[in-house]
Amino acid sequence: MEFDNIGKPLTSFQEHYPDTIPDLFASENDHMPSQSFSTSPSKTRDFYVSFRREAISLIFQAQFSCNFDPFVSYLAVNYMDRFVSKQEITQEKPWLSKLLVVASISLAAKMSNSPFSLSHIQGEEGFNFDAQTVHKMEVLILDTLSWRMRSITPFSFLCFFVSLFELNDPTLTQALKDRASETIYSAHNEMKFLEFKPSIIAASAILSASHELFPLQFSSFKASISDCQYVDTESLLKCLNLMQEMVMMQGYESILETVSSSRTPMSVLDRHFMMTNSESDNTCSNTTTTTTTDAIAVAEKRQIKRRKLSDFCSKSGFQISQSNQW
Amino acid sequence: MDNYEKLEKVGEGTYGKVYKAKDRSTGQLVALKKTKLEMDEEGVPPTALREVSLLQMLSQSLYVVRLLCVEHADKRNNTDGKPKPVLYLVFEYLDTDLKKYIDSHRKGPNPRPLSHTLIRSFLYQLCKGVAHCHSHGVLHRDLKPQNLLLDKDRGILKIADLGLGRAFTVPMKSYTHEIVTLWYRAPEVLLGSTHYSTGVDMWSVGCIFAEMVRRQALFPGDSEFQQLLHIFRLLGTPTEKQWPGVTSLRDWHVYPQWEPQNLARAVPSLGPDGVDLLSKMLKYDPAERISAKAALDHPYFDSLDKSQF
Repeated sequence: MEFDNIGKPLTSFQEHYPDTIPDLFASENDHMPSQSFSTSPSKTRDFYVSFRREAISLIFQAQFSCNFDPFVSYLAVNYMDRFVSKQEITQEKPWLSKLLVVASISLAAKMSNSPFSLSHIQGEEGFNFDAQTVHKMEVLILDTLSWRMRSITPFSFLCFFVSLFELNDPTLTQALKDRASETIYSAHNEMKFLEFKPSIIAASAILSASHELFPLQFSSFKASISDCQYVDTESLLKCLNLMQEMVMMQGYESILETVSSSRTPMSVLDRHFMMTNSESDNTCSNTTTTTTTDAIAVAEKRQIKRRKLSDFCSKSGFQISQSNQW
Repeated sequence: MDNYEKLEKVGEGTYGKVYKAKDRSTGQLVALKKTKLEMDEEGVPPTALREVSLLQMLSQSLYVVRLLCVEHADKRNNTDGKPKPVLYLVFEYLDTDLKKYIDSHRKGPNPRPLSHTLIRSFLYQLCKGVAHCHSHGVLHRDLKPQNLLLDKDRGILKIADLGLGRAFTVPMKSYTHEIVTLWYRAPEVLLGSTHYSTGVDMWSVGCIFAEMVRRQALFPGDSEFQQLLHIFRLLGTPTEKQWPGVTSLRDWHVYPQWEPQNLARAVPSLGPDGVDLLSKMLKYDPAERISAKAALDHPYFDSLDKSQF
């Protein structure tokens, strides 16, 4: 058998052929942390909060030092979450977090065909495990995850949900997917989103992005996603609320950042006004017309971020169209 | 692997031994495919990792043999005492395959044709399974009656032996050095094309379709050259007009000029819809060959109750 997509696994992870959509919904549960995880005793959960935070920061360090695609980190975190939800991790073994991180990154890099050398990340990050130990851990992760390493992620569903909106303008579609991807990456760092299925995360991220970019169409978009037979509306609304909160906090934080660095004394009320102001400008027209210098700075920052992301996405978009040619 | 009681060796697949075994706790029969996991300095090989996980994903379909689990074991090597990692792929067990089934209708105590309803149903399921693989960007490349397992009681057909192409095998040679069958191989592969695609599987599907009707192989060649001659004798020697680029393929030679025969005569009991579908599966130009997905909508299947699938 020829595995046509093996050379381009990233694109096939992220974009699926329309025929495979029902399969995706049917099997996404196999690719998320087990349900018992979110209902586990709070002590275990509390421990995992700090464990996970540390692990994610290690993964990000590795991503930057090895120059990985962010999706490699995404996969590594996914493997780690699924592993931890099925295997007891005790607080007595602090090195385990690092070993799990190293092995998860190694597996994610292999799955994504990203060049990766153990010695490189070990040297860079101060991890120090011999190759055999890491390989044993790899096998333990594989066994625990039943070798289901082609994770179904929210990215797998983006195109499907966007297609429900019947947008005719490819630039709008791209903008929506770009912003949603950005939101998915942010949400993945937060524990509270672990309980949601990948499809629900994708749907919420798309809606949250549409609320920012095309607020007028938001309710019709929401209706079309809610009508989709595969989507549980209750879970969608819960996830969407959390996600919009998260996005708002991020916007607020970035304003605070700018404000505190600009040394302009401002009242809390001013800040609040400015935030809502720049939010709405941003969402209505996607260009900022506020005269407040701070708000412009925020908007510029966002534009840069967005540009970076769309650069990344248009690159992967190119790969996608290539992979569809066979 | 203590959970499974090995009952008998049922074959040597392309990438290792296959055992019939019983799950000790549930009594369920399974097919165990044992394969060496060549661990190198990089740990679990990326190809093995990607292929097994792809197999996991494909086996979600009802028309692909289900991979129940993957078990990993360390075997002590008798000579140097080093552990040898072994991977067991545990598949659902089905007791017969399409080759045995066709054989039992050709020879044996009660030779008789396969019923047209059954042929239609098997072909439909085969197209479903192939469409599933293709929709995930995967080619099977070795579809043949032996690789199509049957659940006779329920009338279900499932595609087996998907996979592990790169990680575990040297493509053309089989594990036991038995002669790999060429009968279902598409002409573009026989002619040395390196850029082949989903059409190679559809060619095989066409050959299998004809074989169910005829109860014998459509193109039983015993060498690559003979295989091509079998095909050309029935379908005519391909021309540049029919198949642009054919004469530039790597292994193209000058062949006798045969005229196409009437395909219906090769499958005498098949009705016009069936012959039409078959002819679309056996188009020379791979780009013109019908896709698995389009085949599912062909009028040949109109009389089939599709709600059961």
